[in-house]
Amino acid sequence: MRLSSRRTLASVLFALVIISAFVPRLPAADDDLKQLRDQIRSLEQKLLVLERKQEIKDEDAATAAKAAPKIAITDKGFTLASADSANSIKLRGLVQFDNRLFFGDNGIVNNSFLLRRARLITEGTFAKNYSFQLVPEFGGGSATAASAFTILDANLGVTVNKALQFKFGKFKSPVGLELLQSDSWTFFDERSLVTNLVPNRDIGAQASGDLFNGTVNYTAGVFNGIADAATSTNADFDNEKDVVGRIFATPFKNDAGSFLQGLSFGVSASLGREKGASGRAAGYKTDGQQTFFSYAATTIADGQNWRVSPQFDYRNGSFGAIGEYVLSTVNVRPSATGKKAELQNKAWQLAAGYVLTGEDSSFAGVVPKTNFDFANGTWGAFEVVARYANLKIDDAAFPLYASAASNADEATSYGIGLNWYLSKAVAFKFDYYQTNFGFAPGAPAVSTNAVLRQDEQSLITRFQVSF
Amino acid sequence: MKAKVVLFSLLALAAVSGAAAKSIELLNVSYDPTRELYVDYNKAFATYWKAKTGDDVTVKQSHGGSGKQARGVIDGLPADVVTLALAADVDALYDVAKLIPQDWQKRLPQNSTPYTSTIVFLVRKGNPLGLKDWDDLVKPGVSIITPNPKTSGGARWNYLAAWAYAKHKQGSDEAAKAFVASLYKNVPVLDSGARGATTTFVQRGIGDVLLAWENEAFLALKEFGSDKFEIVVPSLSILAEPPVSIVDKVVKKKGTEAVAKAYLEYLYSAEGQDIAGRNFYRPRDPAAAAKYAGVFPRLELVTIDAEFGGWAKAQKTHFADGGVFDQIYSK
Repeated sequence: MRLSSRRTLASVLFALVIISAFVPRLPAADDDLKQLRDQIRSLEQKLLVLERKQEIKDEDAATAAKAAPKIAITDKGFTLASADSANSIKLRGLVQFDNRLFFGDNGIVNNSFLLRRARLITEGTFAKNYSFQLVPEFGGGSATAASAFTILDANLGVTVNKALQFKFGKFKSPVGLELLQSDSWTFFDERSLVTNLVPNRDIGAQASGDLFNGTVNYTAGVFNGIADAATSTNADFDNEKDVVGRIFATPFKNDAGSFLQGLSFGVSASLGREKGASGRAAGYKTDGQQTFFSYAATTIADGQNWRVSPQFDYRNGSFGAIGEYVLSTVNVRPSATGKKAELQNKAWQLAAGYVLTGEDSSFAGVVPKTNFDFANGTWGAFEVVARYANLKIDDAAFPLYASAASNADEATSYGIGLNWYLSKAVAFKFDYYQTNFGFAPGAPAVSTNAVLRQDEQSLITRFQVSF
Repeated sequence: MKAKVVLFSLLALAAVSGAAAKSIELLNVSYDPTRELYVDYNKAFATYWKAKTGDDVTVKQSHGGSGKQARGVIDGLPADVVTLALAADVDALYDVAKLIPQDWQKRLPQNSTPYTSTIVFLVRKGNPLGLKDWDDLVKPGVSIITPNPKTSGGARWNYLAAWAYAKHKQGSDEAAKAFVASLYKNVPVLDSGARGATTTFVQRGIGDVLLAWENEAFLALKEFGSDKFEIVVPSLSILAEPPVSIVDKVVKKKGTEAVAKAYLEYLYSAEGQDIAGRNFYRPRDPAAAAKYAGVFPRLELVTIDAEFGGWAKAQKTHFADGGVFDQIYSK
């Protein structure tokens, strides 16, 4: 019994010890657990808050970015645009610095450095569908008669949709294909003889647009009307107007991989009446920009003036070609009361280029895969070009309306060249031209015009920045 | 013969009137939580307007923090109508840009506020912290979700409701200021609008309580389930009166004045009021209010005019740059 009592006591004590050991510890464990849970919850909340703050920051940044005006500075110009791009202003520029060298012309003073073009171009849009363009010309433009500052283009555009756009003001008359190409991206640094027979910039209103999924482009307009190769002086010189139209198709444009995908062709025409000395061409120029034909000073335009020009452009990879024919018909008198005659002058050209470095040939210029960087051993893009062109003056022009002694009645030019595109914006062009002259029956054996006493051989080198 | 002429004339008239049916587009620039309300309402109005005039009207909606939306309209967002969270934001259209007349609020009944709402608490199911009234919110460890009063109309109503409660209870503006300062110390993140704050609380799981528009709280219960959240109605809150107005300069320019006016007037119609009630806004119309009386809890509601001297004064005192909110929140 005693033993039993002892054992019982021992058991009770043991139980107490156990209980005493555990009883205080259970609440403590619960507290720890609770604290840990609270800490985890608190940390989780802090993490969630941080994540949410970042999310809000990102949303605010995205919203601010959407609302912020856009600034783009690229080799295509400097653009400031509203957040929705509906309003924008773009600053572009073109500077062409030429060196003209003539060979075998018995010392005519015509070798020259020349600032051929220097333009600060401002373009913009308002309310998405209204646009403007302002192009002042600061360059001399001619080696022999440096022109003063002029407003080359100043026009306003209204876009209804892709199929209908309007343009008002001063801009290129849509007749000559090569003339419509940007001054920066023609194969040669000077356009061909053909451009002598088409109007340059005129004042008027035109409608244009793309039809049939972009495969047909049309243009139709009414202009003051100007002589061949002339640019409007910002006012009309007579009461007559010219109607000008052009349709140009790229039928395989959407046939990816087709050999003909880059083929475009069309025809343009103008019809009007001109009157006065300003209505006839001031003169026709060679590739070297020397005058080889001009009407007599007393000759005036008086009557219908029409032109027609079938034309094509073809691009396939690195290869490109352009061709056009122009028939320009003018009615002239040798003086206000003299005999009227209708003269038909004709010209055509075929030019081609091949980009040696593999870039695509394009109507809108070659974009080098890599810019020229001597340190890194990249060289930009190189393109070789060739051209044949011919311009024939109507024989009936001589001698009543133009002197056979001081004018050629035909010019045929051959050109070869190398274009080095250092970047999209910067290029060197090296072009060699030879122009042979033909003369009207009755012309003297030696022309009175020193330029025409020999074939013209010229090397024109250009350094160009265009953005 | 005469009958044929008449018939032909009628047909021609019908053809002409058919051909003359217009397609009109309006832009309603609104605050954050009204998305669902105006989706419903725009459909109803389009049907009403078509029946009345034959014209098709499409109403586009833009939502965001009320202050931000007002800024957008001032900066050129072409809103035909604004349906914002508070009168101060609409006043800004006159004050800053003269887009509307100064007396815009007199053009429609009830100061151009076709429906009302108030501010309540949305808490997680079971109300784990036992939050019952504004006092509970300023206790340490309570995490409150409310948007930024600088950009959100709902946030300004939240702020003013808390201020009104403290002032009623403690008797002074100084005490109210200290109370609101304590409250904002418990706010871990400020969204720019009420819908963003709801997202923070409901979807991101942040915070213990969301100070919410009553309609937004009901919508959260409807969308996310009453098994996850519950509404706590404080003892005192504020009568929120979201106003509406046409934007005169825009509608005159766009030629949409008549339809824009009709769009706002129709909010007061039986159908408009019913749609408001259905979307948890307290209707003004007694019949609609009676219909939805069981939905909305009864509580003491103070008004902005009686408590704060109107929105212009409240805005200047509390929410303008350097105002009371800037003082307490920057601390």
